[in-house]
Amino acid sequence: MDGKSPVVVESQASQRAAPGLGWSEIKAELAGFFASIKLAMFLFIILALTATIGTVIQQGDRPEVYIEEYGEETYRWFLRLGFTDVYHTWWFSSLLTLLCINSLTCFYKRFPAIWRSMRQDKVGVALPFIQGMKHTAEIPVAGSKEGVAEGIVQLLAEKGYRVLAKNDRQGVNLYATKGILGRVGAHMAHLSATIIVLGGFIGSYWGFQEFGVCLEGETYHIPKGQFDLRVDKFWIDYYENGAVQSYNSTLTVIDEGRPVTTKTITVNDPLVYKGVWFYQSSYGDAWDQVEMARLSVMDKETDAVLETVDLEWQKEADLRKLGLKLTVTDFVADFGFNSIEKRVYSKTVEHANPAIRLALTERQSLQATPWIFYHYPGLFDIAGSKYRFELVGYKPRKFTGLQITKDPGVKMVWTGSTMIVVGITLSSFIYHRRLWAKVIPSNAGVIVHLGGTTHKSEIDFQKEFRKMTERIRTINA
Amino acid sequence: MVQSLLLFDMTFWLYLAAFALYVGYILARRPGRELAPAGHPTSGMGESDDGWSAQIGQVATIVTAFGLVVNSVALLARAYERMQISGTFAPWSNQYEAMAYVSWAIILGYLVLEFRYRIKSVGAFVVGIGFIAMGAASLLPYRYQTAEPLVPALNSYWIYIHVSVTLTSYAAFAMAGGLGVMYLLKERAERLGRRSSFFAALPDLETIDELGYKAIMVGFPLLAFGVILGAMWANYAWGGYWSWDPKETWSLIVFLIYGAYVHARMTRGWEGRRAAIYAIFGFLMVIFCFWGVNFLLSGLHAYA
Ligand code: HEM
Repeated sequence: MDGKSPVVVESQASQRAAPGLGWSEIKAELAGFFASIKLAMFLFIILALTATIGTVIQQGDRPEVYIEEYGEETYRWFLRLGFTDVYHTWWFSSLLTLLCINSLTCFYKRFPAIWRSMRQDKVGVALPFIQGMKHTAEIPVAGSKEGVAEGIVQLLAEKGYRVLAKNDRQGVNLYATKGILGRVGAHMAHLSATIIVLGGFIGSYWGFQEFGVCLEGETYHIPKGQFDLRVDKFWIDYYENGAVQSYNSTLTVIDEGRPVTTKTITVNDPLVYKGVWFYQSSYGDAWDQVEMARLSVMDKETDAVLETVDLEWQKEADLRKLGLKLTVTDFVADFGFNSIEKRVYSKTVEHANPAIRLALTERQSLQATPWIFYHYPGLFDIAGSKYRFELVGYKPRKFTGLQITKDPGVKMVWTGSTMIVVGITLSSFIYHRRLWAKVIPSNAGVIVHLGGTTHKSEIDFQKEFRKMTERIRTINA
Repeated sequence: MVQSLLLFDMTFWLYLAAFALYVGYILARRPGRELAPAGHPTSGMGESDDGWSAQIGQVATIVTAFGLVVNSVALLARAYERMQISGTFAPWSNQYEAMAYVSWAIILGYLVLEFRYRIKSVGAFVVGIGFIAMGAASLLPYRYQTAEPLVPALNSYWIYIHVSVTLTSYAAFAMAGGLGVMYLLKERAERLGRRSSFFAALPDLETIDELGYKAIMVGFPLLAFGVILGAMWANYAWGGYWSWDPKETWSLIVFLIYGAYVHARMTRGWEGRRAAIYAIFGFLMVIFCFWGVNFLLSGLHAYA
């Protein structure tokens, strides 16, 4: 066994590939295939290659967008291959699943041996084995074999090695090992891949993600969380130079009729209640209501402004001097008219053509509900009225865009993530080293035959080995 | 703003000088005498120098270390300026600062390597990359170089840790890439039987190969950690830990590429030349992930 044991295992596997027919042969064959590092490398590269697709072709867009950019024929191919949503195609998921199976099989086949070697290992080895190792030395030392062996054991223990000793006819056999944790780490990483993928699967299957447009002061029911959410306030903070510093919404959770918690969320700081996360995601002006509208009342004949009033949303204002009662009953941000249903609606959420609807009562007798346009004052005449109305301005009501998600798989993903980071770190910085020594009596004292291997990091081990050789040379026993 | 920009400029010139000195050091070495049979260095890995080369080598190290100090001060100055305008300090909050930070990490990593293994000739390649990174940063338009307040999505303590960890992994991969180039040049010279003293002055192939591997073993866990910190941040900021945003996806791609490398090392034939070529390829992918994605692909990552 040299440090690169997987190489050996791999070649054994290929030698074993003689055809067999029984179940055990098939099983061995399958295990060999799924535990192979070649398959792992293949999967890593194929996953890397296919993952690039989704970064070059925009994902989940409308068909028109693709057709315009790539043409209809290409788009049809995209659909066939799933290129418009690569990461959720059956074949991409299959590749991920294969990687999981691959790493689990690898764990299953290789970890037991590492586990076993943590408790026991071969102490007595033949001399040629030591002499044939990559790092090897013959060190003559003056002293008795027990004394020298004792010295070496002390030296190795000092360096953090676990040392085992065994006497035989020739002399003393020593075995020392250190850093097996590095290899345990590698296998921790192998298990983690499956845990992360499973967590992701659970999240996409049992989780949900919704988007809510919420107005200040309103309360919304969250059916999937079975509680209510009240939006108390929304506002924006700015830096001195006018750039946006943060978007903020103050939210209150109402559970079983009682307010439970209140929190101001910002872009990086969501509210979490009963596993449901509320994120500050966007904001904007409402398109179907305003907070206040400023209206000028003018004389139809002279065009003189008689009075300017601020009308609160759906609250009647009494203008006694003019004998008028006014209420803003409706608002649309982008006026549109459905002529079949005879219904006014907002064509977009943009404030492109805002209009309010007024309910007015003039001198108790005249009643009307005219639409007043912000951009087109005096478009419609109110028959029989003395007045003309102009919408001078309005204060839009802000809505806050909340993303509402629940992901029951997320804990599993974090568990796997921790494992992968810890595992890779262990395996990168702790390397498995093994040393064998035979202390054999000679004419002038003893000769120490020392041999060592390392799982990796040859140059550090070479340095350590050389230093160790020097120390052993100077042992005084 | 002016102070940090001036200091970053100084850093650039110092790294250029250091790079030139390291090249001079290699040229001044007369290694013929001490050349040991390939793969068996006589007296350890450390390079033993005499006369001119020793002096040039010393100056090179001092200039590099001084450059690192100036680079650190520049980053601190930038952190201070950021604190003044927006109350956050991370001096890696835009492409320019990120580049300056990567240079800093590359040079720091190089100095650690030099002190630990007593090899100076690597400097010509690795300090070279640090200098190129710093130079590329200064070629960015001025509006990318200044410290603007952070947009709300970036304004979070996650930026301190996620970005710095990821950028440090890039630096490690840069070092592996530099060592890969070094390996290929030396290997080619040996293969063609050139008796050029320039290449003979470089450490033996096995050492270069091992150092490159070590650099990747530093970068790989850092990248994994960085990607996962990014996922945690996304879980707070975007409402999901993974949304296949191009930057995110490309980091995963880079992770997969190095994952393949780490496993390939365990199979026969994936050392030396092939590993060197692969390390250079990996580094090119890192560059794309760092620059290409920001400028060529659109996504949620609000950098640049
Ligand atoms: C899914 C993601 C995977 C990750 C993150 C991962 C990570 C790692 C890491 C960090 C190491 C340590 C490398 C070293 O010691 O230099 C390692 C070792 C190894 N990996 Fe993986 N690996 C993955 C998948 C696989 C797969 C699918 C196989 C299938 C054969 C595999 C086979 C091995 C083997 C045989 C080792 C050596 C273990 C030992 O030291 O005893 N890996 N892996």
